[in-house]
Amino acid sequence: MFEWTDRHYFALAVVLYGLATLYAVFLWRRGFRQDNRVIYILLLAGAGLHSIAMLKRGFSFQRCPVTNLYEATLFVAWTVAASYLVFGLVRRFRFVGAFAAPLLLGLGVFALMPGLDRHGPQPEFRPPLSSLHATLVLLAYGAFGLAGVAALMFVKQERDLKFNKARAAQAFLPSLQRLEVVMVRLLQVGFGLLTVGLVLGSGWLKQERGAYFLPDAKILWSLFIWLLYLSLVVAQGRFWQSGRRLAWAAMGAFAFVMLTFWGFNLLSDIHHP
Amino acid sequence: MPVVVVGLSHRTAPVEVRECLAFPEADIPAALAGVRARGLAAEAVILCTCNRVELYAATDLDPAAALAGLRAYLLENRRYTGPADVAFYTLSEPQSLEHLFRVVSGLDSMVLGETEIAGQAKKAYDLALRAGATGRRLNRAFQRAFSVAKQVRTETQIQRGSVSVASVAVDLAERIFASLERCTVMVLGAGDTGEKAAKALLSRGAHSLVVTNRSFERAAALAAELGGRAVPFDDWSAEFARVDILISSTAAPGYVLDRARLAALLPARRGRPLLLIDIAVPRDIDPAVNQLDGVFLYDIDDLQAIADEALRQRQEEIARCEQIIRARVRDLLETAPGPLAAPAPGAAPAAPVTASPDPAAAGSPHAR
Repeated sequence: MFEWTDRHYFALAVVLYGLATLYAVFLWRRGFRQDNRVIYILLLAGAGLHSIAMLKRGFSFQRCPVTNLYEATLFVAWTVAASYLVFGLVRRFRFVGAFAAPLLLGLGVFALMPGLDRHGPQPEFRPPLSSLHATLVLLAYGAFGLAGVAALMFVKQERDLKFNKARAAQAFLPSLQRLEVVMVRLLQVGFGLLTVGLVLGSGWLKQERGAYFLPDAKILWSLFIWLLYLSLVVAQGRFWQSGRRLAWAAMGAFAFVMLTFWGFNLLSDIHHP
Repeated sequence: MPVVVVGLSHRTAPVEVRECLAFPEADIPAALAGVRARGLAAEAVILCTCNRVELYAATDLDPAAALAGLRAYLLENRRYTGPADVAFYTLSEPQSLEHLFRVVSGLDSMVLGETEIAGQAKKAYDLALRAGATGRRLNRAFQRAFSVAKQVRTETQIQRGSVSVASVAVDLAERIFASLERCTVMVLGAGDTGEKAAKALLSRGAHSLVVTNRSFERAAALAAELGGRAVPFDDWSAEFARVDILISSTAAPGYVLDRARLAALLPARRGRPLLLIDIAVPRDIDPAVNQLDGVFLYDIDDLQAIADEALRQRQEEIARCEQIIRARVRDLLETAPGPLAAPAPGAAPAAPVTASPDPAAAGSPHAR
């Protein structure tokens, strides 16, 4: 008899995220001129199945399901989905779903790739310090992801206001200033989480390997990411970089994280023994 | 006891006639009592706005006789001494109910889809209710009208977008700024449209206004009227760092603000966005400034095109709104108890009464 595992539930969730993405394309072409309960409902249903997948895994392994790359990606995607669902309770912001859906689809497809969901004799990330490190860092990436979503909305709205004025006047997107504030806050929160997460990781490294820092590929990559986001936060706070430049930087930084995270993870002896 | 309506609006009568027949709020309860005392109707509501005077009534009389009596009553009550061919429209069911639903939904307004009329209708109904002038028929009809207006608002796009240049300017400001309350508006020049745009922004929360004009006296007069302050024309660029929205409508023959000049002023703004509304012809602002980061320039053609597009979209929605209205009227008539119930199957529906004593006068206001 066919048994529904947590991966099946998650796969169904990704299908719903995919449908939401298709609908998002339709909304984009209509210039975001309609309130869309449809996309909210699709993402709500997807997040529901996603939550079931995480709960099933957590209960079956009797631990918080953040112990390998598959579970880590699930967790990041879940924080993005949950944040959107809260944000989208306000009708005026429901539209963020059109931008969050493709991100969730991408994370979901990535997570479902073979080879990511490995369980050795012990988890890759051992509790408690390393689990906390992983959780905080992944939450940070979730915040950066949403910041990227807000940045994309900002760029879209700004471009329409300058060059496609009729469409801008009709769109449902929040104001540029509000999008910029959301983007900046998410970058700041994400940076804070990343900083604490990396400090905890350094503490765990001292416990396990006797040093706060090692020239490991993933550690160096994480440091680079930390410096990258530090520069964004400083540039905005101190040098008043315009919203458009900051938005492109936020999108570029998150794209870089997404494209290189797994590769550097594989190169790391500590994160991928 | 069918619901009938007699009235006139901006579609059928000029303002000189409408103002003669308008009811001050204080006179309405007595007028409603008079309608009932004369036996013309058992229930009545008077809706009086700047664009219409309408008397809705539920009456046991023959609709044609009731409408003639109500028309005469209105003329007598307002002591109307103007021309005799006053273009009233007179409607009975189902057209009277359709008209009521249409009016409350903003479909009969001068600005298609405007929402103010719903509040005015609610006020008129409340006044009649407190005066004891309404009963079961009008209570159901008006409450259903408010529900229909809400349905039209949520299910169609009839109220989306802005159809005037000034409102479009405000909408754009709200697309850029999180809150207009923290915005400083500068009016450059003292043109009419610029003034309207400034008033529209102030009505939506902007409260810091600077006015400048080649004639300082005119600037000061406009600033006093709008609650702002005036600055000499030669000094306006010194204020620029604090300005978020600039409305320009001077009579200058060339550009008052070009790209180079604005680029020099932008660093002091520390990255804050700037909305420029150039209503002047010839234009005051160099179109190239739109290329600058954080600057959004709209000229009169842009604003008018947005307003025209919004009006076109509203007009496209009319058919859907009419469908909703007809369905809800049908539902109201079918579920009404007693004599208001829908006729038995096979029976011919009652013909609407649109007669007016003056054959030259208009019938239904919606006949086009």
